[in-house]
Amino acid sequence: MTKNTTLQVTQVTKRYGSGATEVQAIRDVSLEVTSGEVVLIMGPSGSGKTTLLQMMGALLKPTEGTIQLNGEMLSTLTEKHLPTIRLHQIGFIFQSFNLLSALTVLDNIALVAELVGAKRREARKKAASILTDLGLRERMHFLPEQLSGGEKQRVAIARALVNDPALILADEPTANLDSKIGHEIMRLLQGIAKEQGRSVVIVSHDQRIQDIADRVLWLEDGAFKEMATMATDPVCRMKVEREKAVTTEWRGQSYSFCSRGCRNEFLEDPQQFLNAVPQ
Amino acid sequence: MLRYALRNLLQNKIRLVISVGGVALALTLILALDAILTGVEGQLSAYIDHSGADVFVSQSGVRNLHMVSSSLPGSVVGKVQAVPGVASVTPIMYVTDTMDVGPNQDRYVVYVIGLPQGSTMGGPWRIAQGVSIPTDGQTVIDRSLAEKYGLGIGDKVNILGQKLTIAGLSNGTANLLNSVAFISLNDFARLRGNMSMGNATSTSPTMPIISFVLVKVKPGVSPEAVATRIEQEVTGVTAQSRGAFATQERKIVKDMVTDLLTTMNLVGFLVGLAVMALTVYIATLSRRVEYGILKAVGARNRYLYGTVLALTITFLLSVIIPNLGSNLALQISSASLLKVGIVSLVIATLSALLPIRQIAGLDPALVFKGV
Repeated sequence: MTKNTTLQVTQVTKRYGSGATEVQAIRDVSLEVTSGEVVLIMGPSGSGKTTLLQMMGALLKPTEGTIQLNGEMLSTLTEKHLPTIRLHQIGFIFQSFNLLSALTVLDNIALVAELVGAKRREARKKAASILTDLGLRERMHFLPEQLSGGEKQRVAIARALVNDPALILADEPTANLDSKIGHEIMRLLQGIAKEQGRSVVIVSHDQRIQDIADRVLWLEDGAFKEMATMATDPVCRMKVEREKAVTTEWRGQSYSFCSRGCRNEFLEDPQQFLNAVPQ
Repeated sequence: MLRYALRNLLQNKIRLVISVGGVALALTLILALDAILTGVEGQLSAYIDHSGADVFVSQSGVRNLHMVSSSLPGSVVGKVQAVPGVASVTPIMYVTDTMDVGPNQDRYVVYVIGLPQGSTMGGPWRIAQGVSIPTDGQTVIDRSLAEKYGLGIGDKVNILGQKLTIAGLSNGTANLLNSVAFISLNDFARLRGNMSMGNATSTSPTMPIISFVLVKVKPGVSPEAVATRIEQEVTGVTAQSRGAFATQERKIVKDMVTDLLTTMNLVGFLVGLAVMALTVYIATLSRRVEYGILKAVGARNRYLYGTVLALTITFLLSVIIPNLGSNLALQISSASLLKVGIVSLVIATLSALLPIRQIAGLDPALVFKGV
């Protein structure tokens, strides 16, 4: 564990069920995230991304292995102590924004600050300041339903920041946004990481946001795979393991596919897919 | 916490209005029943309170008017009159019977009081029209009852199986349960099969059987002391001060309606509980995701329970506060308000239990799946 390590995940395994119905969602995963770093975890559906995020967020305990956040061993803490860790050290950003619909934007943020222990006046002041920084000053007294998707996600980011967390966990933060707004949100998260020294871990399917991350990890079947061993299917753009993929040669170049269907589609008109994804 | 609870409650206004209406109705039922009882309670003993008597003498063991029969020999009147401290006496006859009124001969429960001519006690205390003390063949009935059936002076009503002419209309002699009808002592005795009284008066009672002796005590003498003395000096009688007699009367009637009131109150309680529990449960269930979000960001269970309780109590206040004005106008007793307050709190607490159970079992990790 280096000096500025915020999060350390060591040989974590998560199993559900037992015996014949046992499912291993995460297998022996290790990860270290330093302060100011943006880590993007990608992978197909069912690969274990959300399970891993939940464990990093002190919402789920690993079956094996350890998770340390700022030196505190989350995996050994009792259920009674986990809410305090979440409240003081972790900020969550959800795919569906998950704002409290009955409260105004300002109250959504201030509520979390109050949970941390701030007085109402102080909490509202802090919430207003963060919202202003995120360009939402004019929207403070709006209800969530009156906001656009991008605005809602910025409010969610403001909520994640109000308790000054060391770690921000974002679950598919761009999934419900168009690509321009999605990119803006990612830039915002990147700025927060760099300027405020917070660690940001994002799980996402969205390939367009890779350039924002300092590191991109590929999670498949509950384990990290080397990105170097991965190829992108030029048809569906899924990441596939080169060794296990269906492959074909075209004009002297090897291409990997998730399935025969994608390969056949590719072979009908290779040119239309080739400029899209570099191999 | 309170702000969040309040906003949650106010977000669906139609649901709130319907629910508030339901609970308000249930609580009003409880209040109204108490109000009716409180109101009727005073009227139940109106005859006794306004009789003018300080002491009521009855057959031994008889302690009230309602649904009882008291028989005293006529000789008791003179014996009571002779007790030291007694200023005057008036014998009356009494029975609970039905009076046939109106074109359909509707039956109405009445306390029939037989009064001697010239009596100064036991008669109607406020006369709206006509005579106060009926002579033979006459009756004095309550004005509101007469108006209800379109009756007036000169009309006839059937009392104790005999048609009597309305000679007077009295005020304040009817309540929710019954009314008082006054007839002459002679008619009473004749219609009940007693021997003819001749011209019985309050001062020369010649009747062999009477129901009660009303006693006026001398100035400065305690009615209780006179009552005790009467019981000591006259055998076979029970003597009570007017206050004690009225208390017994109210108690017996209250006891009779207690079961009904308890049942109705229970109905009100259950209706209120059902509506409120459903409202709070739905309000909580519809916010399940949001409670999950709060749990995920680190809110402790006690904060969430507090929110549900705040929601319940806010809801309760939204029911009670608008009702306070009307309660005061109705002059509902503070005991009733206290009772409804306690009932409301019990309803609120029970209503909050189920949603709190739901929240306790909510896994915050489900937020990532959209719950």
